[in-house]
Amino acid sequence: MSAKIAGTRIAGVVSARDSRHGLWFLPLLVGLIGGVALAATAADFATTQNLLNLAAQAAPLLLVSIGQMLVVLVRGLDLSVGSVISLSTAILSIDAPATVTIPAVFVMALAVGLVNGVAVTRFHVHPIIATLSVTGIAQGITMLVRPVAGGTIPPIVTVLVNGEFLGIYMPLIWVVVAILAGWKLIHGSRFGLHLFAIGGGDTADTFGIASRRNILLAYVACSTFAALAGMFLAGRIASGDPNIGTQYAVDSITAVALGGTQLAGGIGSLQGTVIGTLLLSMLANGMNLLNVSSFVQTAIKGLILLAVIAIQPRKTIGL
Amino acid sequence: MSALRHPVLRAATRIPPSYVVFIVLLGALWVLKPAMMNPNILGTFARQVVPLGIVVLGQLLVISSRSIDLSAGGVILLVNYLISSGLLGGIDPLAVIGICLLIGLAVGSVNGFLVGKRRASAVIVTLAVSIVLIGLVEYLANGKPPGDVPAFFRNLYNARPAGVPAPLIFWVGLAIAMSLVLSRSVFGRFVASIGSNPVSAHFSGVPVERTVVAAHIIAGFMSALAGLVQTASIAVGSVRFGPELVMNSIAATILGGVIFGRGAGVWGPFVGVLCFALLFVVMTSLGIQEPGKLVVQGCIILLAAVFYGVRTKVN
Repeated sequence: MSAKIAGTRIAGVVSARDSRHGLWFLPLLVGLIGGVALAATAADFATTQNLLNLAAQAAPLLLVSIGQMLVVLVRGLDLSVGSVISLSTAILSIDAPATVTIPAVFVMALAVGLVNGVAVTRFHVHPIIATLSVTGIAQGITMLVRPVAGGTIPPIVTVLVNGEFLGIYMPLIWVVVAILAGWKLIHGSRFGLHLFAIGGGDTADTFGIASRRNILLAYVACSTFAALAGMFLAGRIASGDPNIGTQYAVDSITAVALGGTQLAGGIGSLQGTVIGTLLLSMLANGMNLLNVSSFVQTAIKGLILLAVIAIQPRKTIGL
Repeated sequence: MSALRHPVLRAATRIPPSYVVFIVLLGALWVLKPAMMNPNILGTFARQVVPLGIVVLGQLLVISSRSIDLSAGGVILLVNYLISSGLLGGIDPLAVIGICLLIGLAVGSVNGFLVGKRRASAVIVTLAVSIVLIGLVEYLANGKPPGDVPAFFRNLYNARPAGVPAPLIFWVGLAIAMSLVLSRSVFGRFVASIGSNPVSAHFSGVPVERTVVAAHIIAGFMSALAGLVQTASIAVGSVRFGPELVMNSIAATILGGVIFGRGAGVWGPFVGVLCFALLFVVMTSLGIQEPGKLVVQGCIILLAAVFYGVRTKVN
């Protein structure tokens, strides 16, 4: 009897039917198979050093993806995360004390998030359009602040990213803290619950949920996560780079979608996003070890995304 | 918002934002650089945005039916590579054109099938298709600089029958055709009805899936056409087409008053594309550099969208 119930539960997780968490089981399976295959074929994959590298490569994408997911849950999309990352590294590389530049990064993120959120909630601009135009503005400012890569980053940032704390590799701490913060925001708070409710249907307002305010907060949180990712990257490369963030808008959407979060809103899970991020990072890392050209990697990334997307059940046609 | 209840003001807010932006830009150019107000110069600049204009013709169809196509960049890149790499060297140029258009149709069909039949998210599907195509072309090109484009394409591009650049004539012709399709054909009415409400369109007997698939196939075809014009215009192969073209095509469509599922006009987006040409002229003649251009462009799109959003709310 109990075996039967367990069986239906497992079937429910696998097919993700009627689930608020989306189809995260399948990417997990793909990831595990991929991981085992990589460990078998690439001799350097399963070494401690490489796994630590993997954590450092995955950390910025994980931060951006968690933020992106908050916005996707409320049927939004934030294309401006890439330019926020670039602008963060540019601001940090300005020749000014860290006590000025670090708060400036977060003020910038707050401003970008507010513009996105206000445009979407108050002026009914489509999220793609709002965040796309903000991308242009932020990228333009980035190129004014730092036309070419260079400059120096405050030592405090580099230490926070590259050092060790109590003998633990710093990027690993970033990953764990990001997951904990994401878990608290998405599955452990009223805010997260409201995001699911708003994304799930038009009735959230009827139940007294302040949908505008929560959507606005989701955009602000997304920009803040992107700014953190920018700080992390700035610390890693120890300079500012106006183009470092370009890839992150697409990659974060890919990671979120891979993890089973639906772009129609209301369905998704943190574990899915974490799995999606790790899958993408592992793919890049593993194929680098196997000397697969980066162009083929791009194509394979697209094919995996297509495959995972094509099997997800959905009702609406279109966006 | 009560001011907007006045009939004259309400009629004024129904004009696509692109018309307003176009007139403002034209006025600015007239005041700042009267010497540039020369049909020959403006024609040359307009010729540069023809690829964007053709992509927009497909994009507006897809956006009108509540979908989106981000794969144009990949298609254009592939077409450019096929023509400039010499892979199809020994073949008649007309056959090359045919192959390129078939590729556009094929990519459009894949998009349409996944979006319309499999009901996958259009953003993800077309993005993924674009990523696959870009990866494929870069792998095939393998870092080598691509070769030259056959003279046939360059001559076609530089032709000026009756003094008007040939690409411009081609673009205007396509736009007229598209506007006739949207206003006169059953397909056009299907697109408009899906745009206003997919659910009621479905219950009124509109084949929603088939129409979305067809819209995507046409968009893929338009991307291939744009790729041909783009390749002829730069006359050499290139492995770098920024995503700007795709993003600008969305921006021009929105500027033209077409927003996901609302309005299906051709001429609003058409003028939107001309705005991009004019914006380029104005900012270049004012000596504004690339960063400033990005900022101004972003501000204009955002303001236009805010204007449109407020307007939909009032109506």
